[in-house]
Amino acid sequence: MALLETQQVTKTFGGVTAVKSISLKVDHGEIVGMIGPNGSGKSSFINLLSGIYKPDIGRILFEGEDITNYPSHAITGKGISRTFQNLRVFSNISVLDNLLIGRHCRIKNSLFNVYLNPLASKKIEKESEASVTSLLEMVDLSDRINDFARNLSYGSQRLLEICRALASEPKLLLLDEPCAGMNPAEVESLSTFLKGLQKSGTTIFIIEHNMKFIMSIAERIIVLNAGEKFREGIPQVIQSDKQVQKIYLGEEEEG
Amino acid sequence: MNKRLVAYSATLIAAIGLPFALSNDPYLLAITNFIIIYSILCLGLNLILGYSGLLSLGHAAFYGIGAYATAILMTKHGFGFLPSLVISGLLALLLGFVLGLPTRKVRGDYFCLLTLAFGEIFRLVTQAWIGFTGGAMGIVGIPIPTVFGWEIKSEVDFYFLGIALLGFTYVTLKMLIESKFGRAFIAIREDELAASVMGINAPIYKILTFSIGSFYAGLAGSYLAVYQTTVTPSNFRLEESCLMIIMVIVGGMGRLEATFPGVAMMAIAIELFRPIAEYRLLLIGAIMILVLLFRPQGFLGASAFKD
Amino acid sequence: MPTSMFFDVLIVGIMVGAIYTLVTIGYSMVYGMLKLMNFAHGDVYIFGTLLCYTLLTKYQLNPLLAILLAALSGGTLASLVEFFAYRRLRAAQHRMISMITALGAAYVIQNNSERTWSSQVLPFPSLFPAHQVYVFGHEVSVAPLITLTVAVLFIIVFNLFLKRHKIGKAILCVSQDMPTSSLMGIPINKIITVVYFLGGVLGVIGGILYSTSYNAISLGMGFRGTIVAFTAAVIGGIGSMSGTLIGGMILGITENLVSVYISSSYRDSITFLILIIILLFKPTGIMGSVEKDKL
Repeated sequence: MALLETQQVTKTFGGVTAVKSISLKVDHGEIVGMIGPNGSGKSSFINLLSGIYKPDIGRILFEGEDITNYPSHAITGKGISRTFQNLRVFSNISVLDNLLIGRHCRIKNSLFNVYLNPLASKKIEKESEASVTSLLEMVDLSDRINDFARNLSYGSQRLLEICRALASEPKLLLLDEPCAGMNPAEVESLSTFLKGLQKSGTTIFIIEHNMKFIMSIAERIIVLNAGEKFREGIPQVIQSDKQVQKIYLGEEEEG
Repeated sequence: MNKRLVAYSATLIAAIGLPFALSNDPYLLAITNFIIIYSILCLGLNLILGYSGLLSLGHAAFYGIGAYATAILMTKHGFGFLPSLVISGLLALLLGFVLGLPTRKVRGDYFCLLTLAFGEIFRLVTQAWIGFTGGAMGIVGIPIPTVFGWEIKSEVDFYFLGIALLGFTYVTLKMLIESKFGRAFIAIREDELAASVMGINAPIYKILTFSIGSFYAGLAGSYLAVYQTTVTPSNFRLEESCLMIIMVIVGGMGRLEATFPGVAMMAIAIELFRPIAEYRLLLIGAIMILVLLFRPQGFLGASAFKD
Repeated sequence: MPTSMFFDVLIVGIMVGAIYTLVTIGYSMVYGMLKLMNFAHGDVYIFGTLLCYTLLTKYQLNPLLAILLAALSGGTLASLVEFFAYRRLRAAQHRMISMITALGAAYVIQNNSERTWSSQVLPFPSLFPAHQVYVFGHEVSVAPLITLTVAVLFIIVFNLFLKRHKIGKAILCVSQDMPTSSLMGIPINKIITVVYFLGGVLGVIGGILYSTSYNAISLGMGFRGTIVAFTAAVIGGIGSMSGTLIGGMILGITENLVSVYISSSYRDSITFLILIIILLFKPTGIMGSVEKDKL
């Protein structure tokens, strides 16, 4: 059984069909990349996966369970986390609080505890702090733990956002253009980091424009064009596919 | 020794000693009691507005619900103060839930309008339902409260009752804020969409924060009823809700401790400007504008509100 | 005859509806463009109406002159409030900050007006003749008809202004897409000033028409006016002129019918009830469109 499966997922806004009958699968432990020219529906697709939009037609299955109409918070609870293309860390609170919020659905505290068993409540909170702190060590940001997120460099904030997504121990991590605004060194770091994540069992689905990065890290690439699944295959095949180059060239000619 | 324990102990000692420091002067104690009531109200409002980012223009209505509940229970049904206090708080909590439920998915600006409408309807109902609420005259003759045999009559007595309620309010809110619930409220305030994607059920949390914040307003109302021995609709107008909002803003949104200096500063300002009381609204309005223009985080508030 | 009375009530309802529309246009434009709930809206235009009262009664000014001065003052006050209190906060991260500022502005203006005019109900002079005429065989008073006509004229002229005049079209552009309008060279701040100004002017006209119909003006009408604007805008749907018209009409007619056939003391409660129902069940209003979050 695939970890994630979409069946003919379609989404229309007004007169525009942003996502047209996309069926795909993501297996456990894979790193899958999604590419396509601007406006091909990649962001809309990821918004569908994370429950921000609901598909007009089609189903989304996660570990066999139909999550098509689940609200976003429930989808996260099931084990899917994501980052955003235009960076949505909570700028005005600390790095630590950002991570703890990311971990929200795994913190097994309750109002009963808070009011009637404060010691247990404190213990649970302390444990959560410890577990997210270890995430920061992975990306070398431990020393910034109490800083406000807005005081971090752009690249560090991007890493923070990924850590925040990881704080809920997701089975599937959705990354929306994680390399945007990163320099080559940072991209390289990210690549290493993601491969490490894969080794520890996280499945990763990445939308990216940075071809070098995505071709080097993804095991399988899905190409979107005008809302439809255009091609699917291993990086080498996709890279040399003339048709794929053409749809990108079309974008260049217009641009 | 734990730093927080020291702070709490010091505050407790100061609180107990305050009346003596003020030479038991009834005037000064009355101002202090005013500060205490509004602190309870504003701690609840800070939870709703400061931490969760929900602009409630109806907080005074929950204050009123608590006050009228206690007034009616004590004058017409012979209830004692403590049971009335508890029922008042729970009633306000329940009505906060009832208002929060249909409004949980409503956009911020519309939510604000709905709370305004709720507050106004509360005012209109208390004025019109003469048989139940005494209309514009309100309810008078609320008996002296007795707590475990201790009769609460003088300003000093009310001071200690108030401090006890205030302490309860602060401690319970602090426990809530420092848990995942507090962080969830902040996340919703900062970016509701991102918060949902992080696994926070935003609508439920909005109902929660609104209900809990209103609970404390109900407690404050109950205290007001026995303190003033009368309750009238004029205690709970929109102007009151706005005064509470400005107190929260001046002290600092998003930080519980900031509520105290905010309330104190506004209370003292109001006292000082008593000779020119007809300028009260002007003052409130002008302070609101100036603070938000030049120091939106108030005196001590969360830096999330800094320019 | 009951039908005659119903006809009267209907005409008055439509007249009030037209007045409400005038009063709501300014609020609706500001909200549609800037997403700001201008709590000071009612208090600003009531200031203008009160000023008109003084000009008419104390200074015995020619009515047309008085109305003109009052309208211009109202418009100017509205623009000043925007410039001093709202402008800096346009980009505030938390939208409620602007709302609270608007509340503050409302109180400042209210208090100022109160010190000049007190909160009593003052007798606003009738500006229109009090004859009766025959319409469709029923006898109706002329004054409401004239008021209705004047109000409708203003609405039509304003609509034409938005669609044909250069500045009007610029306003429509900015309402639809501020960033693009800015890139196209439209001076955003100036347009916003114009929007507030015109909203204030129309509001004062509406206030004067209302006060002359009911021969009454008081400070309390300011807050009530703000609530009317909120409600009419929500009923009709934000960002749509026809929506504002529909909202104003529905509110005016409903309120009037309830006032006459049920009880006038429930009028305020009815307004709030309508507001609550619409906000809960159809917040986009009758003509409004759902806004999509920019993701």
